[in-house]
Amino acid sequence: MIKSALRLLASPSFKDRLLSPSLLSEGGKFTGSTNIWRNFHATTRCQKAEDKKMMLASLPPVDEGTKGEKSIQIDNLLSSSEILFPDETTPFRLHDGTPYKDLPICNIKVSHNNTIISLTDCHGKVQMIHTCGKEGFKNTRKGTNIAAQATATTFGARTLRSGIKTVRVRIRGIGPGRMSSIKGLQIGGLDIVSVTDNTHVSWTPPRPRKARRL
Amino acid sequence: MGLRHASFIARTVYVRNNNIEEACGVLNRIMGREGLFEQFRRTRYYEKPCQTRRRVNFEKCKAIYNEDMDRKIQFIMRKNREEPFPGCS
Repeated sequence: MIKSALRLLASPSFKDRLLSPSLLSEGGKFTGSTNIWRNFHATTRCQKAEDKKMMLASLPPVDEGTKGEKSIQIDNLLSSSEILFPDETTPFRLHDGTPYKDLPICNIKVSHNNTIISLTDCHGKVQMIHTCGKEGFKNTRKGTNIAAQATATTFGARTLRSGIKTVRVRIRGIGPGRMSSIKGLQIGGLDIVSVTDNTHVSWTPPRPRKARRL
Repeated sequence: MGLRHASFIARTVYVRNNNIEEACGVLNRIMGREGLFEQFRRTRYYEKPCQTRRRVNFEKCKAIYNEDMDRKIQFIMRKNREEPFPGCS
Protein backbone atom coordinates (compact mmCIF):
# COMPACT_ATOMS: atom_id res chain seq x y z
CA MET A 1 0.00 0.00 0.00
CA ILE A 2 2.78 2.36 0.92
CA LYS A 3 4.51 1.56 -2.33
CA SER A 4 1.49 2.45 -4.37
CA ALA A 5 1.04 5.65 -2.44
CA LEU A 6 4.60 6.56 -3.15
CA ARG A 7 4.12 5.82 -6.82
CA LEU A 8 1.16 8.14 -6.82
CA LEU A 9 3.21 10.82 -5.16
CA ALA A 10 5.78 10.44 -7.90
CA SER A 11 3.17 10.89 -10.62
CA PRO A 12 2.93 14.51 -11.81
CA SER A 13 -0.80 14.95 -11.40
CA PHE A 14 -0.78 14.04 -7.73
CA LYS A 15 2.15 16.29 -7.07
CA ASP A 16 0.36 19.03 -8.88
CA ARG A 17 -2.69 18.61 -6.73
CA LEU A 18 -0.65 18.68 -3.56
CA LEU A 19 1.24 21.71 -4.60
CA SER A 20 -1.51 23.71 -6.17
CA PRO A 21 -3.28 24.97 -3.02
CA SER A 22 -0.03 26.42 -1.74
CA LEU A 23 0.62 27.97 -5.11
CA LEU A 24 -2.87 29.39 -5.14
CA SER A 25 -2.35 31.06 -1.81
CA GLU A 26 0.89 32.56 -3.06
CA GLY A 27 -0.04 33.97 -6.39
CA GLY A 28 -2.78 31.97 -8.04
CA LYS A 29 -0.97 31.60 -11.30
CA PHE A 30 -1.81 27.98 -12.08
CA THR A 31 -5.58 28.06 -11.89
CA GLY A 32 -6.06 25.73 -14.84
CA SER A 33 -5.30 22.40 -13.18
CA THR A 34 -6.69 23.17 -9.73
CA ASN A 35 -10.23 22.23 -10.69
CA ILE A 36 -9.35 18.64 -11.52
CA TRP A 37 -9.96 16.47 -8.46
CA ARG A 38 -9.96 12.76 -8.14
CA ASN A 39 -10.62 10.63 -5.07
CA PHE A 40 -7.65 8.81 -3.75
CA HIS A 41 -8.29 5.43 -2.17
CA ALA A 42 -5.65 3.49 -0.31
CA THR A 43 -8.01 0.50 -0.04
CA THR A 44 -11.03 -0.74 -1.98
CA ARG A 45 -14.19 1.25 -1.58
CA CYS A 46 -16.39 -0.10 1.22
CA GLN A 47 -19.66 1.38 0.03
CA LYS A 48 -19.68 -0.18 -3.40
CA ALA A 49 -22.16 -2.94 -2.49
CA GLU A 50 -24.47 -0.52 -0.71
CA ASP A 51 -24.39 1.88 -3.62
CA LYS A 52 -25.39 -0.91 -5.95
CA LYS A 53 -28.19 -1.97 -3.63
CA MET A 54 -29.53 1.57 -3.45
CA MET A 55 -29.34 1.91 -7.21
CA LEU A 56 -31.25 -1.35 -7.71
CA ALA A 57 -33.86 -0.33 -5.16
CA SER A 58 -34.40 2.97 -6.90
CA LEU A 59 -35.10 1.28 -10.25
CA PRO A 60 -38.77 1.00 -11.22
CA PRO A 61 -40.31 -2.43 -10.59
CA VAL A 62 -40.34 -4.79 -13.55
CA ASP A 63 -43.77 -5.41 -15.05
CA GLU A 64 -44.39 -9.14 -14.83
CA GLY A 65 -47.99 -9.13 -15.90
CA THR A 66 -49.07 -10.22 -12.45
CA LYS A 67 -51.26 -7.24 -11.77
CA GLY A 68 -53.66 -7.83 -8.92
CA GLU A 69 -51.45 -10.45 -7.37
CA LYS A 70 -51.42 -8.67 -4.04
CA SER A 71 -54.54 -6.56 -4.18
CA ILE A 72 -57.10 -7.22 -1.49
CA GLN A 73 -60.07 -5.73 -3.33
CA ILE A 74 -60.21 -8.82 -5.51
CA ASP A 75 -60.71 -10.94 -2.40
CA ASN A 76 -63.98 -9.15 -1.79
CA LEU A 77 -64.88 -9.71 -5.42
CA LEU A 78 -64.10 -13.40 -4.99
CA SER A 79 -66.18 -13.73 -1.87
CA SER A 80 -69.16 -12.19 -3.64
CA SER A 81 -69.07 -15.33 -5.86
CA GLU A 82 -70.11 -13.56 -9.00
CA ILE A 83 -67.02 -14.83 -10.76
CA LEU A 84 -67.62 -17.81 -12.97
CA PHE A 85 -65.42 -20.79 -12.49
CA PRO A 86 -65.66 -23.98 -14.51
CA ASP A 87 -67.78 -26.85 -13.26
CA GLU A 88 -68.83 -30.25 -14.60
CA THR A 89 -71.14 -28.77 -17.22
CA THR A 90 -68.45 -26.45 -18.59
CA PRO A 91 -67.14 -28.65 -21.43
CA PHE A 92 -70.59 -28.82 -22.97
CA ARG A 93 -71.55 -25.20 -22.61
CA LEU A 94 -72.11 -23.60 -25.99
CA HIS A 95 -70.11 -20.57 -27.06
CA ASP A 96 -70.98 -19.23 -30.47
CA GLY A 97 -72.53 -22.58 -31.34
CA THR A 98 -69.48 -24.62 -30.33
CA PRO A 99 -69.16 -26.57 -27.09
CA TYR A 100 -66.42 -25.30 -24.81
CA LYS A 101 -64.32 -28.43 -25.18
CA ASP A 102 -64.14 -28.04 -28.97
CA LEU A 103 -63.11 -24.40 -28.97
CA PRO A 104 -59.71 -23.61 -30.47
CA ILE A 105 -57.00 -22.83 -27.93
CA CYS A 106 -54.71 -19.84 -28.01
CA ASN A 107 -51.51 -20.78 -26.21
CA ILE A 108 -49.34 -17.94 -25.02
CA LYS A 109 -45.89 -18.59 -23.69
CA VAL A 110 -44.52 -15.59 -21.85
CA SER A 111 -40.92 -15.33 -20.77
CA HIS A 112 -38.82 -12.42 -19.63
CA ASN A 113 -37.31 -12.00 -23.07
CA ASN A 114 -40.02 -12.97 -25.52
CA THR A 115 -43.68 -13.84 -26.06
CA ILE A 116 -44.80 -16.71 -28.26
CA ILE A 117 -48.42 -17.06 -29.29
CA SER A 118 -49.76 -20.11 -31.06
CA LEU A 119 -53.22 -21.22 -32.08
CA THR A 120 -54.16 -24.88 -31.86
CA ASP A 121 -57.37 -26.77 -32.39
CA CYS A 122 -59.03 -28.57 -29.49
CA HIS A 123 -56.73 -31.60 -29.91
CA GLY A 124 -53.57 -29.52 -29.72
CA LYS A 125 -52.65 -29.43 -33.41
CA VAL A 126 -50.82 -26.20 -34.14
CA GLN A 127 -52.37 -24.06 -36.83
CA MET A 128 -50.65 -20.73 -36.49
CA ILE A 129 -47.73 -19.29 -34.60
CA HIS A 130 -46.42 -15.81 -34.03
CA THR A 131 -43.72 -14.30 -31.84
CA CYS A 132 -42.41 -10.91 -30.90
CA GLY A 133 -39.28 -11.65 -32.91
CA LYS A 134 -41.33 -12.36 -36.04
CA GLU A 135 -43.26 -9.16 -35.49
CA GLY A 136 -40.03 -7.23 -36.01
CA PHE A 137 -38.91 -6.52 -32.49
CA LYS A 138 -35.34 -7.51 -31.91
CA ASN A 139 -33.17 -8.16 -28.86
CA THR A 140 -34.31 -6.53 -25.62
CA ARG A 141 -37.35 -4.97 -27.23
CA LYS A 142 -38.89 -8.40 -27.66
CA GLY A 143 -39.34 -8.61 -23.93
CA THR A 144 -41.62 -5.62 -23.50
CA ASN A 145 -45.35 -5.36 -23.02
CA ILE A 146 -45.66 -3.16 -26.08
CA ALA A 147 -44.09 -5.83 -28.28
CA ALA A 148 -46.39 -8.45 -26.79
CA GLN A 149 -49.47 -6.35 -27.39
CA ALA A 150 -48.53 -5.55 -30.98
CA THR A 151 -47.80 -9.20 -31.67
CA ALA A 152 -51.07 -10.32 -30.14
CA THR A 153 -53.03 -7.73 -32.09
CA THR A 154 -51.55 -8.91 -35.39
CA PHE A 155 -52.13 -12.50 -34.40
CA GLY A 156 -55.72 -11.82 -33.44
CA ALA A 157 -56.41 -10.15 -36.78
CA ARG A 158 -54.83 -13.06 -38.65
CA THR A 159 -56.88 -15.55 -36.67
CA LEU A 160 -60.04 -13.67 -37.49
CA ARG A 161 -59.15 -13.74 -41.16
CA SER A 162 -58.78 -17.52 -41.00
CA GLY A 163 -62.34 -17.73 -39.73
CA ILE A 164 -61.90 -18.27 -36.02
CA LYS A 165 -63.54 -15.81 -33.67
CA THR A 166 -64.03 -17.49 -30.32
CA VAL A 167 -61.01 -18.88 -28.49
CA ARG A 168 -59.97 -19.91 -25.01
CA VAL A 169 -56.61 -18.67 -23.81
CA ARG A 170 -54.01 -20.75 -22.06
CA ILE A 171 -51.11 -18.74 -20.70
CA ARG A 172 -47.79 -19.97 -19.40
CA GLY A 173 -45.02 -18.20 -17.55
CA ILE A 174 -44.65 -14.72 -16.13
CA GLY A 175 -43.20 -11.80 -17.98
CA PRO A 176 -44.03 -8.37 -19.33
CA GLY A 177 -46.34 -9.82 -21.97
CA ARG A 178 -48.61 -11.72 -19.63
CA MET A 179 -51.46 -9.25 -19.41
CA SER A 180 -50.78 -7.20 -22.50
CA SER A 181 -50.82 -10.14 -24.90
CA ILE A 182 -54.32 -11.12 -23.79
CA LYS A 183 -55.39 -7.52 -24.16
CA GLY A 184 -53.82 -7.46 -27.61
CA LEU A 185 -55.81 -10.51 -28.66
CA GLN A 186 -58.97 -8.76 -27.63
CA ILE A 187 -57.99 -5.62 -29.52
CA GLY A 188 -57.31 -7.82 -32.53
CA GLY A 189 -60.98 -8.74 -32.49
CA LEU A 190 -61.03 -12.16 -30.86
CA ASP A 191 -63.71 -13.21 -28.44
CA ILE A 192 -61.99 -14.70 -25.39
CA VAL A 193 -64.11 -17.14 -23.43
CA SER A 194 -61.78 -18.07 -20.62
CA VAL A 195 -58.28 -17.50 -19.33
CA THR A 196 -56.33 -20.48 -18.04
CA ASP A 197 -52.97 -20.46 -16.40
CA ASN A 198 -50.63 -23.26 -17.32
CA THR A 199 -47.43 -22.09 -15.65
CA HIS A 200 -45.27 -25.03 -14.72
CA VAL A 201 -44.53 -24.76 -11.02
CA SER A 202 -42.69 -27.48 -9.18
CA TRP A 203 -41.76 -27.83 -5.54
CA THR A 204 -39.07 -30.36 -6.35
CA PRO A 205 -37.55 -29.01 -9.53
CA PRO A 206 -34.28 -30.10 -11.08
CA ARG A 207 -31.46 -27.82 -10.09
CA PRO A 208 -32.00 -24.45 -11.77
CA ARG A 209 -29.25 -22.36 -13.26
CA LYS A 210 -26.99 -20.47 -10.91
CA ALA A 211 -28.17 -17.22 -9.45
CA ARG A 212 -27.44 -13.96 -11.16
CA ARG A 213 -24.82 -11.80 -9.53
CA LEU A 214 -26.02 -8.26 -9.30
CA MET B 1 -59.18 -34.62 -20.76
CA GLY B 2 -57.40 -36.58 -18.07
CA LEU B 3 -58.57 -35.83 -14.59
CA ARG B 4 -55.17 -35.79 -12.94
CA HIS B 5 -53.85 -32.76 -14.76
CA ALA B 6 -57.11 -31.50 -16.09
CA SER B 7 -56.54 -28.51 -18.27
CA PHE B 8 -59.24 -25.89 -18.43
CA ILE B 9 -60.64 -27.07 -15.11
CA ALA B 10 -58.00 -25.93 -12.70
CA ARG B 11 -56.63 -22.37 -12.76
CA THR B 12 -59.32 -21.23 -15.15
CA VAL B 13 -61.41 -18.10 -14.99
CA TYR B 14 -64.27 -17.20 -17.30
CA VAL B 15 -64.31 -13.81 -18.92
CA ARG B 16 -67.48 -11.90 -18.18
CA ASN B 17 -68.69 -9.15 -20.53
CA ASN B 18 -65.35 -9.11 -22.32
CA ASN B 19 -63.73 -7.80 -19.16
CA ILE B 20 -60.24 -9.22 -19.55
CA GLU B 21 -58.70 -7.12 -16.80
CA GLU B 22 -61.02 -8.50 -14.19
CA ALA B 23 -60.51 -12.12 -15.23
CA CYS B 24 -56.73 -11.75 -15.30
CA GLY B 25 -56.78 -9.95 -11.96
CA VAL B 26 -58.77 -12.74 -10.34
CA LEU B 27 -56.50 -15.38 -11.84
CA ASN B 28 -53.38 -13.53 -10.71
CA ARG B 29 -54.78 -12.99 -7.25
CA ILE B 30 -55.59 -16.67 -6.81
CA MET B 31 -52.19 -17.73 -8.12
CA GLY B 32 -50.48 -15.20 -5.88
CA ARG B 33 -52.43 -16.23 -2.82
CA GLU B 34 -51.61 -19.89 -3.36
CA GLY B 35 -47.92 -19.01 -3.59
CA LEU B 36 -47.49 -20.32 -7.12
CA PHE B 37 -45.86 -17.17 -8.47
CA GLU B 38 -43.57 -17.02 -5.49
CA GLN B 39 -42.41 -20.58 -6.05
CA PHE B 40 -42.02 -19.96 -9.77
CA ARG B 41 -39.83 -16.93 -9.16
CA ARG B 42 -37.80 -18.68 -6.53
CA THR B 43 -37.00 -21.66 -8.72
CA ARG B 44 -35.90 -19.55 -11.62
CA TYR B 45 -32.40 -19.47 -10.19
CA TYR B 46 -30.74 -21.87 -7.80
CA GLU B 47 -31.11 -20.91 -4.16
CA LYS B 48 -28.10 -21.85 -2.10
CA PRO B 49 -28.82 -23.87 1.07
CA CYS B 50 -27.60 -21.08 3.30
CA GLN B 51 -30.01 -18.70 1.58
CA THR B 52 -32.82 -21.22 2.04
CA ARG B 53 -32.10 -21.48 5.76
CA ARG B 54 -31.99 -17.73 6.03
CA ARG B 55 -35.27 -17.31 4.22
CA VAL B 56 -37.02 -20.02 6.24
CA ASN B 57 -35.85 -18.51 9.49
CA PHE B 58 -37.04 -15.10 8.40
CA GLU B 59 -40.44 -16.51 7.45
CA LYS B 60 -40.74 -18.22 10.83
CA CYS B 61 -40.00 -15.00 12.68
CA LYS B 62 -42.43 -13.10 10.50
CA ALA B 63 -45.20 -15.62 11.11
CA ILE B 64 -44.69 -15.43 14.88
CA TYR B 65 -44.74 -11.65 14.79
CA ASN B 66 -47.85 -11.55 12.62
CA GLU B 67 -49.68 -13.99 14.85
CA ASP B 68 -48.90 -11.98 17.95
CA MET B 69 -49.80 -8.73 16.30
CA ASP B 70 -53.12 -10.16 15.12
CA ARG B 71 -53.90 -11.25 18.65
CA LYS B 72 -53.02 -7.81 19.93
CA ILE B 73 -55.25 -6.11 17.40
CA GLN B 74 -58.11 -8.45 18.19
CA PHE B 75 -57.65 -7.64 21.87
CA ILE B 76 -57.80 -3.92 21.23
CA MET B 77 -60.73 -4.22 18.87
CA ARG B 78 -62.93 -6.50 20.99
CA LYS B 79 -66.35 -5.05 21.49
CA ASN B 80 -67.81 -6.85 24.50
CA ARG B 81 -66.21 -4.58 27.07
CA GLU B 82 -68.24 -3.53 30.06
CA GLU B 83 -66.82 -0.08 29.83
CA PRO B 84 -66.51 0.97 26.20
CA PHE B 85 -63.56 3.34 26.65
CA PRO B 86 -61.38 2.06 29.46
CA GLY B 87 -59.13 4.64 31.05
CA CYS B 88 -60.99 7.61 29.56
CA SER B 89 -63.55 8.33 32.27
